Amino acid sequence: MSKNEEGSVMIKITDMEKFYRTEEVETIALNKLSIHVKTGEFVAIMGPSGCGKSTLLNILGMLDDPDEGSYIFNGIEVAHFTERKRADLRKHNIGFVFQSFNLIDELTVFENVELPLIYTGVPSSERVKRVEEVLDKMQIMHRRNHYPQQLSGGQQQRVAIARAVVNKPKLILADEPTGNLDSTNGNDVMELLTDLNEQGTTIVMVTHSEHDARYSHRIIRLLDGQAVVENIMI
Amino acid sequence: MLKSYITIAFRSLRRNLSYAFLNIFGLTLGIAACLVIFLVVRNELNYDNYAKAGRIYRVTLNAIDFNSNVSMAIAPKLRNDFPELNVTQVMYNAEVMVKVNNNRFRDKDFSFVDEHFPEIFDLGWIAGDPKTALSEPNSIVLNQTLAHKYFGDKNPMGQFINVENQINAKVTGIIKDQPGNRSVPIQMLASLETIKDQIKDNYTNFWNIGGGFFTFFELPANSAIKNIQARIPVFLKKNWSIEKDVRLPLQPIRDIHFDQKYINNVVTPVSKNTYYALFGVALLIIITACINFINLATAQAIKRSKEVGVRKVLGALRSQLVKQFMGETTVMVLLALVLGVALAALFLTKAHSWMNLTVDASQLQQPVVIFWITGLTVAVILLAGLYPSFVLSAFQPVASLKGGNAQAPRRFSLRKGLVVSQFAISQILIVGTLVVASQMDYFENQDLGFNKDAVISIYVPNQAKTEVLREQLLSNPGVKQVSFSTGAPSYANNAAGFSAPAYGVTKDDVTNLIFADENYIDMFGLKMLAGEKLRKIPATDTSQNFVVNETLIHKMGITDPHKAVGAHFILGGRNANIIGVVQDFQEESKHKLRRPVILMYHAEYFFRASIKLQPTNMNRAIESIGKSWSALFPDNLYQYEFLDEHIASFYEQEQKVYTAFQLFSGIAILIGCLGLYGLIAFAAAQRTKEVGIRKVLGASVWSAVGLFSKEFIALIGVAFFIAAPVAYYAMNSWLQNYAYHISIGPLIFVLAVLASGVIAAVTIIHQALRAALVNPVKSLRSE
Repeated sequence: MSKNEEGSVMIKITDMEKFYRTEEVETIALNKLSIHVKTGEFVAIMGPSGCGKSTLLNILGMLDDPDEGSYIFNGIEVAHFTERKRADLRKHNIGFVFQSFNLIDELTVFENVELPLIYTGVPSSERVKRVEEVLDKMQIMHRRNHYPQQLSGGQQQRVAIARAVVNKPKLILADEPTGNLDSTNGNDVMELLTDLNEQGTTIVMVTHSEHDARYSHRIIRLLDGQAVVENIMI
Repeated sequence: MLKSYITIAFRSLRRNLSYAFLNIFGLTLGIAACLVIFLVVRNELNYDNYAKAGRIYRVTLNAIDFNSNVSMAIAPKLRNDFPELNVTQVMYNAEVMVKVNNNRFRDKDFSFVDEHFPEIFDLGWIAGDPKTALSEPNSIVLNQTLAHKYFGDKNPMGQFINVENQINAKVTGIIKDQPGNRSVPIQMLASLETIKDQIKDNYTNFWNIGGGFFTFFELPANSAIKNIQARIPVFLKKNWSIEKDVRLPLQPIRDIHFDQKYINNVVTPVSKNTYYALFGVALLIIITACINFINLATAQAIKRSKEVGVRKVLGALRSQLVKQFMGETTVMVLLALVLGVALAALFLTKAHSWMNLTVDASQLQQPVVIFWITGLTVAVILLAGLYPSFVLSAFQPVASLKGGNAQAPRRFSLRKGLVVSQFAISQILIVGTLVVASQMDYFENQDLGFNKDAVISIYVPNQAKTEVLREQLLSNPGVKQVSFSTGAPSYANNAAGFSAPAYGVTKDDVTNLIFADENYIDMFGLKMLAGEKLRKIPATDTSQNFVVNETLIHKMGITDPHKAVGAHFILGGRNANIIGVVQDFQEESKHKLRRPVILMYHAEYFFRASIKLQPTNMNRAIESIGKSWSALFPDNLYQYEFLDEHIASFYEQEQKVYTAFQLFSGIAILIGCLGLYGLIAFAAAQRTKEVGIRKVLGASVWSAVGLFSKEFIALIGVAFFIAAPVAYYAMNSWLQNYAYHISIGPLIFVLAVLASGVIAAVTIIHQALRAALVNPVKSLRSE
């Protein structure tokens, strides 16, 4: 990798290991994994169940610690950051989209989307502006006062994406974002992610769907915690 | 941020209504019970607590007993020998008959007092001059309520009222209604000058101690009571040549309500320990409510774990989540507080008729009480909220988002500890309630030594009419038997000194002297052990023949009642002859050891008629007795009292304790049940999959129910080992307050553990059955 190339790398993982231990068994989730993601890239991670996709995504999202190895995010080594530092870095830089949406049932659409802004300390008037802006962009402004359970799956995922992007994160981590959606709604969500990527947001997406993976620039295929193949999408 | 916390708190309550209801209901009960207990205890501990009270003392007599009544002879001598003291005398009457124009009333708390009384006691004068209002004979001062009751809107000053058909007194002052927590309750004050001639004997004889005579004094500021007390022996020797065995303890007025060694108090003293114990019960209740809250909140953790995960992913710090959950706790506690204060206020307004409690609900607005409520609220928020907040906020986002339950901390050992505490608290309170109930039954019904059923007691104002009244009563078909006396067995209040030098009793011992007619022993079923019963004798017969009880002959060293017949002793300086011996009976309350009792026929002192009624149509009999009584004594007001009610009145304080125990134990147990219900819900949710698998493999519904129950049976057992010794120690100490008491047998503990088992079973059965009845396919899918 040239010096020029390294400057545009957002995520660099080297020799990463992650084990899950119970009293009797140790399972290797990531086995000396080394990958990188460039700024502005759209990367899909694929592989069979149990290959370590979700573990990788959790570590990338700083929701979990690796046991060994290095994780450099935007030039900063974060592998052994404290919970507080990770939370701080996470809330300013990373947005999450989940298969099961993970909206908070007690909050309205507006309040769900507003939540990340509250945690980053954005003033109230600014919050209203930004939430409305993003709801408008996701075409769910008319549902702003509804609760998640009053929405269709597709609409819920739009809200989840709106929530993921409202803080203008540099990176979006999507964990099977279309997994709970029919194909029409799934395509809509993929279009949305593509749009966001085209506007400059880096996206790392875990998926089982070859169809969805085709929206990405590159596919990293994992097996037993190791990257076995990388496909460049043309 | 705060708005978001409050919003989510309310929405979360709305979404989990049953959980919120259990929590808020439990806390409401806990807070209400705590507040009521706090106000009651505060009211009781503040008896006679006013600025000057620290310098007011009561002169008491300690010869054989500690007597709160002293002779009227003491006050004038005190004034003479201790000019620095401001001394006052009081003659208290529990109840008097008052006539105003043609209206008759019976009202409580009437005292004759001297003119110094208003100088010592601040009475809140509304009208009249405190310096002169009570100096002239036939002057009377009324409190506001009575003044209004007797005279309505008319100005009462200068009006006349008649007391007991004997005194026509002029109203010379109006005072405020006095607080309920005073050792000498006051509604009416009449000048002592009014009756000075009638009680002049009491002024001359040190040993003439009339009922209701109290002497108080005010100590000058900066004087030490011990200096006064040190001069008392000289004072006794100088004025009455008394050198030994007699003391005049100077009792601080603030001690009166708590010092149980004194007899003849107006208000039965209660040990401070009783109030501290009640306060302990309040603490147990609020702890139970908090445990309940913790159990229910952590049981909810499974449901909240996804939310915690999402919030953490979105950047929430743990401290922010702790704040959020504390905010939710605060909202619930505040809701419970509002309801709890309302419930406490409602209870206090009704408590007077339920429990004879005189605590004003307006006390809830006093700054001290508000301060206390605030403290209680903060304590409850911290106790109930901190632990669940830390547990909930500790969830790892990855785990919570993955599915929640499996990763939610089980924390079962702590929960087990909490449940054991709740069971233990319930069992202690159940044992307490059962012990108090048994002792109450023992007080009023067991081992009395006389028959109290269907007996009423009425006053006989004029002894010359005794025989006429007897004839009229006996001709009444509703009357079975009649006996005239100074009072039925439990009315004994005539003390006399007796000695028996021939039998080694050289010092005067106190005996209860009952003047009774020839029917007394039969009607009350007193058991004759030897000799003969009382006989009717003419007034001219001055023979000194007595029936005595076993205790008296034991004092004389005689064990065989037959040998006592014919023995002599000295009563009031005269030789007395024993003609019969009766088995001991409960002549006073069971607080005190039984005393020697002497029964004598003396018609002049037959102040009361005891009437045994036919068991049917008692009300009609009472009414017709009233008619003949009123015809005989037209100037008096007919009043009757059932003997068993009179006996129960000895145990008014215990009855209050009993009622409090029942009520507060009930509340603690109910709150505990709510907590248990929450816990079983938690267990059921955690074990849904296990139950499903067991059922697929062939387990029956009842074996699945058993899965939940056996754990709680073990917890009840553990709780019992903690509760039993604590309850035994506490209740045994309480029983030591009484000369005669039950012993705590194993049955009470068996009942307590069974009761807590049944209560737990009823509480968990619904949830356990629900979990066990779920279709296994459904429960497995839910995993």
